Amino acid sequence: MKRYPTIKIENGKKYFFRFDLDQRIQHIILAATVIILVLTGMPLKFSETSWAPYLNTFFGGSKMSPMIHKVTGAIMLILFAYHVIRVVSQIVSKQIFPLKKEGKMNIGEVTTILIKQPMIPNLKDAKDIIGLMKYLLYFTTVRPDGDEFTWKEKFDYWAPFWGMFVIGLTGLVIWNKVLATQIIPGELINLCLIAHSDEALLAALFLFIWHWYNVHFSTSVFPMGTVFLTGYLSEELMVEEHYEHYVRVMTKEGLAHEILPPHGGHKPFCDKPLPDKPDSPSTTTAAEQPNDTLQQGGLSS
Amino acid sequence: MSLKSRFGPFGHIGILVLLTIYFMPSSVFGADAGNCLVCHKFPGLSRVGENGEMRLLYVNEEIHNKGVHGSVKCEGCHTDITKIPHDPAKPVDCLVLCHIIEPTSEQKFSHKSVATSLEDSVHSKKDKDGKEKPFSEDMPTCKDCHDDPMFRPLAFVKKVRPGVAEDALGRCRVCHSKEAFIDKFYNHITTRLHKSRSPLNIAEACARCHDDPKLVARHNLSRAAGSYGQTFHGKAANLLDESVPDCLDCHVPKGKSVHQMYKNEDSRATTHKENRGQICNSVDCHPGASKKFSNYQVHAEFDKGKNPVIYWFTTFFIILTGGTLLPLMAILFLDLLRRLFPNASFRRRKEKQ
Amino acid sequence: MKCFLTKLYILAFMALVVFFGVLIWKLTFAHLIHEYHARKGHVSIEHTGEPDKKDIGKQTFETMILESEDRVKHYLGYRVLEEQRIKGHFHHIDFDIGPDNRSYCRSCHGDMPHDKVKDVRAFLNMHAFFIACQTCHVKLEEGEKTNVYKWYDRKTGDIVDSPVNGAPPGTYNAKIIPFVRENGQLVRIDSEDKIQFATEYKKNEKVLSEGQKSMAKKLIHKFISKVPVTCESCHTNNNPTLPLAELGYPKTRIDSITSTEVVGMIKKYTEFHMPKMLSPGEKPATPPQQPPVPLLSPVPPAAPPAAPPAQH
Repeated sequence: MKRYPTIKIENGKKYFFRFDLDQRIQHIILAATVIILVLTGMPLKFSETSWAPYLNTFFGGSKMSPMIHKVTGAIMLILFAYHVIRVVSQIVSKQIFPLKKEGKMNIGEVTTILIKQPMIPNLKDAKDIIGLMKYLLYFTTVRPDGDEFTWKEKFDYWAPFWGMFVIGLTGLVIWNKVLATQIIPGELINLCLIAHSDEALLAALFLFIWHWYNVHFSTSVFPMGTVFLTGYLSEELMVEEHYEHYVRVMTKEGLAHEILPPHGGHKPFCDKPLPDKPDSPSTTTAAEQPNDTLQQGGLSS
Repeated sequence: MSLKSRFGPFGHIGILVLLTIYFMPSSVFGADAGNCLVCHKFPGLSRVGENGEMRLLYVNEEIHNKGVHGSVKCEGCHTDITKIPHDPAKPVDCLVLCHIIEPTSEQKFSHKSVATSLEDSVHSKKDKDGKEKPFSEDMPTCKDCHDDPMFRPLAFVKKVRPGVAEDALGRCRVCHSKEAFIDKFYNHITTRLHKSRSPLNIAEACARCHDDPKLVARHNLSRAAGSYGQTFHGKAANLLDESVPDCLDCHVPKGKSVHQMYKNEDSRATTHKENRGQICNSVDCHPGASKKFSNYQVHAEFDKGKNPVIYWFTTFFIILTGGTLLPLMAILFLDLLRRLFPNASFRRRKEKQ
Repeated sequence: MKCFLTKLYILAFMALVVFFGVLIWKLTFAHLIHEYHARKGHVSIEHTGEPDKKDIGKQTFETMILESEDRVKHYLGYRVLEEQRIKGHFHHIDFDIGPDNRSYCRSCHGDMPHDKVKDVRAFLNMHAFFIACQTCHVKLEEGEKTNVYKWYDRKTGDIVDSPVNGAPPGTYNAKIIPFVRENGQLVRIDSEDKIQFATEYKKNEKVLSEGQKSMAKKLIHKFISKVPVTCESCHTNNNPTLPLAELGYPKTRIDSITSTEVVGMIKKYTEFHMPKMLSPGEKPATPPQQPPVPLLSPVPPAAPPAAPPAQH
C-alpha cells in the first residue's frame, strides 16, 4: 500500500494529509450517486409542484427515471457495503489483531479501541459545540480548536451513514415489494415509503445546505475546498479548523518551532484589520512569514 | 398533496391557438340540424342564474363534434326544446332514449343500463332495503363525474401513440367512403382500447367528492383521493403517466362497467378483504404478489385517529428532520453573522461602558 | 472591493439560509401543526355538521366566490384541453378570454351585466362580450355623434385592428367602442378622465357621505340614455348604427347579422315574448307585465358637445 506523507510541501506551503485515494474515490462516488438519486427521487416526492414534470422528463420520464434511481441506488449500497467492510477490516487487522498477538484481548480493550476511533463522537465534540455557540453568540472571540475530525465532520459522516442504512434498506424493500411481502406484512411498505422519502429529504437538505456550506460556500473555503480531490489540507485551513491536531502533527514531525499561532476567530476577509482589535490576532500575516524557513526544514516527500 | 391538473403560465395560449385555427367544416358532422349554433356559438352567451351560479350557454362546436356526442343532435338530449326562440331549457335527462340506433340491437340507444348499475352500487341514493340513505343528495349523478366525454384516439402503426393514425384511416378508406363514419368509428374504437380519461383526470373527478372534507366527514369516509396522491401510483399519475392504476382500476371488478363499484364490505367489491389480493397480483400489475402485499394501505392518511402507527412514524421523521436541520440552520446563520461582524463582542461593549 | 463583495455574498447567503429555514419549517413542524388543527376542525364538523348542512348563509365569501372558479385540464393525448370548470356544466368550453381591463363599468356591473329582462339577458350579455357598454347605452347628441367605432383590446385597452375576419363569431379578444368629438378632436368615449373618476369613486366609496355618493353616481351615469340602442338599429340592412363593414366584418358575416334568421328572431322576441321590452322608451300599447326598465346603467358622462357634427 502506498504510503502517504503526513506533511507535503509544495511551493513552500505545507499541506497536511487527510484522505487517501481510496477514501477520495469513495467520496466522489457517493457524491455523484447522492446527486443523481436526489434528482430522480425528488420529482416523485414533490410530484404536484410545477418543476417536478420537467425534472422527471429530463431523466427519461416515468419509465427511465425509476430505472436510473434503482441502478444508482444499487451502486450506492455497494459502496456502503464496501466502506463498512473496509473500515471494519482495517480496525481488525491493524488494531485488534496486534492486540490479540500481545494476548491482551478482552472486551474492555476492544471497546476502548472502538471508542477511540477518530470518527466516534466524544466529550470534546460536546465541549466544542458549546464553545462554538459561545463564539457565535459573541461571548468570546476564540473559536474552539478542532481535533483531527471536528464535530461537524463527524456529523457529516454519521448523518449520511445512518441515512444510507435507512434509505438503502427501505429502498430495497420498495424495489422488491412483491418478494418482500412474502415475508413482511404489506403495511410495512407504507412505513418503508415514509422512511425512505422523509429520510431522503433530510439527507438531501443536510448535504446540500450544511455540508456544502462547510466545504464550498463558507468564506474560508469559497469557492471550493480542494481536500476532497487532493487529499491534503492547506496549513491555513488546518490551523483554522483542526488546531489541536495541527499542533500534534507538527510536534510529531519535529516542526514544533514552525507552529503557527492559534486562529482566534474566523480569518478576517477584509484586508485591513481594524486597529482596535488587540484580542483577535490576525493569522494572515503570520502565515506568510515562516515560509522561507520551511525549505530549510528539509522535509519533503 | 393535491391532485390537481397543473396550469402553466400560458393559460391563454390555447385560446389564441383556437382563434387562429379556423373551425372544422361543421357539415362533416351536421349535428346542428336545428341551427342552434346561430346563437349558441357565441362564447358570451351567458347569464347569472337565480342562485348566483354562472350559466354559460355557449357550445364549442369544434370540441363538441370531436366528442362522443358529436353526432347527436342538440334536440336529441335537449328534448324540451322544439322551437326557436325557446323557453329556458330544462336540465337534460341522460337516460332519455336517443334518436341514435344502437347497431347491434337495432334499438334506440339509452344510458339506462348505467342507471341500473349505479343504483346497485355504493353510489346509490338508496340502501339495500330501498330506504333513502342519509345525505343522499351527495350521491353523484351523471354530470358530477362526466362532462361531455372526448375521444382519446390511439394510433397503432409502428408504435402506440396518442392521436389518429393516417395510415390506419387509409386502410379504412379501402372499404368505406363516408369520412364522418370513418372518423367516428376510428375514434370510438381506439378510445375504448384504453382509458377514456387519464389517471390524473379520473382521480380529479373522484377527488371532487372524495377529497371534499365536509362531504368526507358527512359520510364518514377517508380522503381517498388525497391519499392516492401520496402513493407511487398517484405520484406517477400526477406526472401524467398513463400506465399507472387510477381509482377505477382497483375499485371496479375486472370486465365490469365502471359504475359497478361496491362497498368494501360487499363481497362483490374488489376491495373486499377476500378479493383484494387478486386486484394487486393481476398480470398487468404485480404478478406473483402475495395476499400480504395487498395489505399495503393505499389510502393511508396522516391522521392520528385513523392510522396511529403511520402518524407516529411520520411524526418521528418530521421531528428528526426539523430537529436536525433547524438548529444547523441557526448555526449557519450565526456563523455568517459572526463573519459579517467579526469585531462586535459583548465583552468589548462592557469594557467601553 | 473584495471586502464589499464578500460582505454582499455573506448577506445573500444569510437570506438563503433564512429561506431554507422557513422552507424546512414549513415541511416539518408547520405540517404537524396544520395536521393538529385540521384534526380539531375535522371533529367539529362530524358533530355539528349534520343538522344544518345546507346552511348557505354560513358560507363565507371565500367559499362562495373566491373558490367558485375552478380550472381543469383534460389530457386527451393529442392535445390538452384546458378550461374553466363550471359546476354542472356539461359542454366543453375550451375558450378563455381575460377580463376587460379597460371598462370601468364592469368594476360595479360585472362581465355579465344584463339580468333584468329575463328572456333576453343572455343575448345581451353575449353582445356585451364584444361591444362596450357605451356603444348601446349612451345616446349621443347630434353634435357629438361621429359614427366612428373602433375595436379595443380587452387586455391592454389599446385600439387594435379588427379581429373579426377569420375568427369564429363572437370570440374576439376585443370590444367595439364609440368615438366622440371633443373640442374638435376625435376621442374614444371612455376617456382616461372618466376612468380616473370612476376609479377614484370606487376607491373612496367607503369614506363618502350618502350625498356625495349619490352625486358621484349621478356624474358617472350622467349621460346614460334611458333608451338603449335597439336590436333592430344594428340588425338591419338599412343604415345600421354600427358601421359593420368599417369594423372589419366581411360581407358574409354582415349578411348573417342582418339575415332574416336573426332579424326574424328579434321580431319574434319583441312581438310575442315580451312586447316593448326591447324598446322600453316607447309608450306600451298594452299594459306591460313589468315596468320598462333600462337594461343597463353604467355609462359615463359624455363629453359636452363642442364642435359641430362632423360626418365621418
